[in-house]
Amino acid sequence: MANVVSQYESKPPPFGHEMRKCFSFDPEYINMNHGSYGSLPSPVAEAIKPYYALAEANPDLFHRFTSIDLIRDVRKRMAKFIGAAHTEEVVFVPNASHGLNTILRSFIWEEGDIISSCNTTYNSISRTAEYISDIPPHPEVVQFTLLFPTSHSEIIQNWRAYVRSLNEMRDQSAQKLGRRPKIVAIIDSIISVPGALLPWKEMVKICKEEDVWSVVDGAHSIGQELDLNLAEANPDFWVTNCHKWMYAKRGCALLYVPKRNQHIIKASFPTSHAYKKGGGSNFVEQFEWNGTIDFVPYISASCALDFRAWLGGEHVINDYCHRIALEGGKRLAQILGTEIIDQDQDFQFTLSMVNVAVPFPPTMSSAFEIDMAFRRKLLIKRKIYPAFFYHNGKWWIRCSAQIWSQVEDFEVLGQAILEASKEILEEFGDGTEKKTMGIEDKVEKVN
Amino acid sequence: MSNTQSIAPVPIDQIVKATNILQQSSAPKFGHELLPYFSFKQGFLNLNNGSYGALPKVVTEACNELMAWQEENTDFYYRIGFIPPLIGVREQLAQLVGASDVDELVMVPNASTGLGVVLRNFLWQCGDTIIRCNTTYATVYKTIQYIHDVTPGLEISEFQLLFPTTRQAILDGWQKHITNVKANAPQGQKIVAVIDSVVANPAAAMPWKEMVKICKDVGIWTIIDGAHSVGQEDLHLADCGADFFVSNCHKWLNTKRGAAFLWMPKESQKIMLTTIPTSASYVTPGPDRPETNIVSQFQYNGTIDYTTYLSVHVALQWREWVGGEAAIHQYCNNLAKKGGALLAQTMSTKVMDPNGEFTMAMVNVTLPFPSDFQAQYDASVGTALSNKLLARNMYAVTYYHNSLWWTRVSAQIWNELSDFEILGNALVTICSEIVSEHKSANVPQNCKAVSFSSYLEQPLKGAVALDSNNGIGAPRPVTSTKVTLVGYHTQLASIRP
Repeated sequence: MANVVSQYESKPPPFGHEMRKCFSFDPEYINMNHGSYGSLPSPVAEAIKPYYALAEANPDLFHRFTSIDLIRDVRKRMAKFIGAAHTEEVVFVPNASHGLNTILRSFIWEEGDIISSCNTTYNSISRTAEYISDIPPHPEVVQFTLLFPTSHSEIIQNWRAYVRSLNEMRDQSAQKLGRRPKIVAIIDSIISVPGALLPWKEMVKICKEEDVWSVVDGAHSIGQELDLNLAEANPDFWVTNCHKWMYAKRGCALLYVPKRNQHIIKASFPTSHAYKKGGGSNFVEQFEWNGTIDFVPYISASCALDFRAWLGGEHVINDYCHRIALEGGKRLAQILGTEIIDQDQDFQFTLSMVNVAVPFPPTMSSAFEIDMAFRRKLLIKRKIYPAFFYHNGKWWIRCSAQIWSQVEDFEVLGQAILEASKEILEEFGDGTEKKTMGIEDKVEKVN
Repeated sequence: MSNTQSIAPVPIDQIVKATNILQQSSAPKFGHELLPYFSFKQGFLNLNNGSYGALPKVVTEACNELMAWQEENTDFYYRIGFIPPLIGVREQLAQLVGASDVDELVMVPNASTGLGVVLRNFLWQCGDTIIRCNTTYATVYKTIQYIHDVTPGLEISEFQLLFPTTRQAILDGWQKHITNVKANAPQGQKIVAVIDSVVANPAAAMPWKEMVKICKDVGIWTIIDGAHSVGQEDLHLADCGADFFVSNCHKWLNTKRGAAFLWMPKESQKIMLTTIPTSASYVTPGPDRPETNIVSQFQYNGTIDYTTYLSVHVALQWREWVGGEAAIHQYCNNLAKKGGALLAQTMSTKVMDPNGEFTMAMVNVTLPFPSDFQAQYDASVGTALSNKLLARNMYAVTYYHNSLWWTRVSAQIWNELSDFEILGNALVTICSEIVSEHKSANVPQNCKAVSFSSYLEQPLKGAVALDSNNGIGAPRPVTSTKVTLVGYHTQLASIRP
């Protein structure tokens, strides 16, 4: 069994196309959408092989003892990484959707309660809120509207006004019900589409001031947002995917619940053998075993951090990605003759994802077919693909800049999009005549 | 391989080359000759397939190829690529288990998830009843507990199952229990029964179809925990009468861990509103919601590694090559019965089920503790048994049931009769050690399981920091000796699926 980590004894390749050596992409594919599903570096894939071997060498030893001890160690490392005050506040879940569902389903919902989401909330989480509202006792879903272009300060201002209006709603209900309902707000730290960093810490603070629960969807945060310090930011709940920007193997996310809120999490999903009424008193234990799964992705989080340390660490990685996102995004906007979504706000929303408008006329249909057409023409035909989304009257591209990316990739993408959009305009028309089929507002959102 | 040229999906057989070797050679006989085809550490005596299954080397290699495919172009894989092979796997499983239609069967990560998502989809009300057994598997037992705790006025009715017993006695008891529950339940409120097809501890193949009929005759919902079923017994779900059936593929069907299926006939799908987590394709119930929406919800509800599900295809190829379902079942069932008898003889104890009416590939035998020792339950005994077995490079499950300590032994195609004798001799020594340690109130600190780093040819470097004991060593801390006997242990060390 090769000692994979001997690779770390030599210097890493430089950032840019040479870094593809550390990944296992199809050589003909230009990966500009790391943000959706992440990418597993080859050294990390190698580093976890010994754990898979252990799982088969003695399945009982591994599942009853070894994996549990290993994962406890990894949790310690991750807790430190995100600035949690205690390791006991951090547990692993398979993905962010799972973590957020665990939180939202744990609340004991009552009539008059309010779930606040946003038009930019990730699609499955919006559906989760809808589902909870669909079943008795039907808490109400209220939506905060966030439309780009905007600025951090405008968002904060609007959010404060919005949360105060939620409180007014609550006060009215409280009078009728004779008790004070709760308000639970789902806040993205980084929106999926557009790929945009929000002033989430300020939004969390406002929630606290207004007695509103803050549930932060940080799916895109870890590995992209620098210097996380959750003890300081102090959200009520926080979830992130390690398999997105942190290079862990898929099926690895963190659920952060500060000690003061662990009583809210009544049970894991699936329920653990360790469940007992009064929940939360054994929070960590309840998340240590929830049925047999492949536990190696949780262990891989630590191997991923080793790889990132070898590259130079978080700042080195993210400084490069951020620079390429900006330079590449500008080049792309130039080629397309369009704009970057936050160029008038000093790119305050842009970390490693950049959003550029598609060169369509403003009348262009928002139908799902357009997204599917881009998928055929770019992902399948031209082997290059960013995420597409429709927002506030326009089609946009979301590009992920990564350590293997170079500005040239954005140039290739720009040409591909110019050609593809022309083809699509011919096929579907510009929206002034009805050429598109299907429901206008059924637009598939992206990860 | 370049699969991004065409839109046409690539079948698994074009991606996976590892299984080519199966066409080039014929399988060895069942027994120790099969050990090289698995990845157990040299000398590890695996008599516990039932808990975590085992991955044949060919399937491991195929999974590596499937994982590499996933990384080539993740957008292609997650938006397009995984779908046709996943449907293919569902079709294969639907055929294997005798479902009427592929759209009655979806994949879930494990039985606990499958059962949990079904139980949590019911809209529970005051006056509803959930029926479970004292032997219901821990996560399911506690899911029911949780539902009870958050639903005011919901009743749990627990059916006591104590072995040894007979199938007829169980059915008589079950009939009485159901009649009683039905008589006492408020009119118009639902009653849902969770029934094991195969109880985990003790290992017992239940007369579950008869139990389903008893429930169905009086309008009680039936959810079958068939975690141990697929790969251990033939299934014909289309006419089983149950409302839901869940089984783990990674136990007896040789798939990668994290693969199970949930079977729900069309009628049952009406109560299924959502997956957990909820999918982007969730639609509010109502006239706009398509009929098979819940099936499409299960296709994608959060990013996971689909390799576990896709490995079903390769596992089935391997099982066909090694002898086929019927031959595998026959070998394992015969070995379990003969092995159990030999084990009991070696330890001078008894087989729980001497006439074999509950025995498929797992057998239960009493442990050789003196009767006064047996009578007084102590959780530390379970920990000690577990650790001492691992220290001897072997494993079988041990558990306490009906005032006796037992071992549950899995017979698999790599096992032979002699394995049972080796286990028996080890257990005789182990049990006598435990008795004398208990007498002297001396649970030894050096009762260590083998250090996992000794499995590696070279030590891990730069990975997770290992403690000075190399990660594992000391037995789990002993908890209170006053443990309420509920048919399962509360200590993490004693988890036994």
